[in-house]
Amino acid sequence: MSIAVSVQELVKRYGSLVAVDHISFEVSTGEIFGILGPNGAGKTTTLEIMEGLRRPDTGRVVIDGVDVLASPREVRERVGVQLQEAGFFERLTPLETLALFSTYHRRSLPGAVLLERMGLTEKGDALVETLSGGQRQRLSIALALLNDPRIVFLDEPTTGLDPQARRAMWDVVEGIRREGRTVFLTTHYMEEAQRLCDRVAIMDHGRIVALDTPRTLIRAHAGGTTLAFVLEDGRLDPSRLPAVSRVDASDGETVLHTADPQHTLHALLDLSRGGQVRYRSLRVDEPTLEDVFLHLTGRRLRE
Amino acid sequence: MKALVYTALMGFRMYFRDRSSVFWGMLFPILLMTLIGLAFGRIDSLTFTVGVVGDGAGPAAQVVRTGLAQVPAVRLVTERSLDDALKALRAGRRVLVVVLPGGSEALEVYYDAARPQDSRTALLVLERFVAEANLRLSGATPVVELRAHSVTSQSSRFIDFLLPGILALTLAQNGLMGVSWTVTSYRQRLVLKRIIATPVNPLLFLGGLLVRYASVGIVQLAVITLVGMLAFGARLAGSLPLLAVLAIGGSLVFTSVGIAISTVARTPESANVMGSVLNFPMMFLAGTFWPRELMPEAIRPIIAYLPLSPLVDAMRAVGARGEALGPYLPGLAYLFGWGVLALVVAGRRFRWE
Repeated sequence: MSIAVSVQELVKRYGSLVAVDHISFEVSTGEIFGILGPNGAGKTTTLEIMEGLRRPDTGRVVIDGVDVLASPREVRERVGVQLQEAGFFERLTPLETLALFSTYHRRSLPGAVLLERMGLTEKGDALVETLSGGQRQRLSIALALLNDPRIVFLDEPTTGLDPQARRAMWDVVEGIRREGRTVFLTTHYMEEAQRLCDRVAIMDHGRIVALDTPRTLIRAHAGGTTLAFVLEDGRLDPSRLPAVSRVDASDGETVLHTADPQHTLHALLDLSRGGQVRYRSLRVDEPTLEDVFLHLTGRRLRE
Repeated sequence: MKALVYTALMGFRMYFRDRSSVFWGMLFPILLMTLIGLAFGRIDSLTFTVGVVGDGAGPAAQVVRTGLAQVPAVRLVTERSLDDALKALRAGRRVLVVVLPGGSEALEVYYDAARPQDSRTALLVLERFVAEANLRLSGATPVVELRAHSVTSQSSRFIDFLLPGILALTLAQNGLMGVSWTVTSYRQRLVLKRIIATPVNPLLFLGGLLVRYASVGIVQLAVITLVGMLAFGARLAGSLPLLAVLAIGGSLVFTSVGIAISTVARTPESANVMGSVLNFPMMFLAGTFWPRELMPEAIRPIIAYLPLSPLVDAMRAVGARGEALGPYLPGLAYLFGWGVLALVVAGRRFRWE
């Protein structure tokens, strides 16, 4: 598989703050690659260096075979860029906006086709100032696809969207990949990274603390599945349950960490059938990237 | 090149979709022209409203009444009483009040000493009339006759003087208030960042902005001029193409100054304040509304250095008097110096985010 993006030993300092601290990674062609991290982790700075909008102090970025530092404009010709919170000309329509920006690229796709793909055809002739947040975000993606790029950079594409619009955006991102494009995105939603990304780099304080597929990251850094319930009656002897590695109690809940959830669950059900214990609110939790982040940094990802 | 043309074209559309910019760019100058024209325009209309008191049956009274009615500059109003007439005089609705003599005694005239200019002129008209009437009543033939010949070809009407000033002011206002606000808000809302994230040569975008405001300026000036001509009877003496060249040049200079302001201001609001600091003094001092000679001697040297002054002078010379540009070239060169300075500042300080 060929390499779409190569980032080597990138460093960017703002005064005494090291925003990006010696990070390196490669993105393969056709992959959805995500940087996951809390606000201020250095995700956007990294992305803007890759787009040629900022100069790193040291390091090298090669995109689609072109060195970003040497020829930033050539890179921008080849990639599609969706900027976080970037504004529009409010008194143009989406069609006019696409027509205007198409003159800023060497080649471009027809605006009507892009709006159709983004489900914005009806709004093609409405002024941008009348669009909703989700519609603006889709227009922003349409602009990122305008030059028919092989690589698309999306900076927090779902930040500020309601859950429904967020899911619609995930379909859009998957659609972009199905067209054979490489997608590089940043996010601070672990659910988004887990659902969309083939591989995830977890970033904190300017550093990449882990990089792999979501599944491998979870297996390596998060505990196993947990069973949680509220014990109402009887005493539970964890040693009588198979595959349980640890028992925690928090907020009145008993939490069992298990290597074999099915086996443990069966045993638990048998105990209650035999009348030895009574419990309610039984829940099975799969570990997530949130747990990975917690494990790696000791902090939670959520704002 | 297509990028520049489209940037200008779409900018042009945006301008006319924005009610506030259309208000400030077109309606506001027209309102100014109307108000200032109404306030000062009467100076050259030279109609004196004269109140006449008493029905004076005597022959002298008859001669005065019919004679005065024939003087072109005088509008006669018959008053009910002297009190009413004097009240109207004090309120400024009459320039003179004339009391018609019952017999052959003197003609009594009242005037408002607080308005020396109007009263004096009106009194002169009246004196001349009385002298002529005396001559005629005594049956003498005039020995000397006055025939006045005007030697100036230039218009002395106030609206013709005012219109070019309003046009120049509009261009300055576009740049200082409109451009500075727009570019600063493009930066604040990360629109400029969106532009710079494309492969376009940034100079093409900035060039597009200059062309946008130059073409917007031409449309504004055309509309204001048409309103001036159709509604107020303004006349343009000089060549339209020459005026258009001045308008485009002035627009480029003030747009550049606006862009320079946007590189210093952090928010659209502060850009607005900075623009106003330049714009307002120029509006009143640069000879836009009234001749600079009316300004106090002490500040005239400062006024000469305002960048709007040479543009007003040149546009007025061409527009109102049909002169050639020759004598105004040094002033225009000074104006372009401002443009160059602004572009240098903009070039060094311009930030895309």
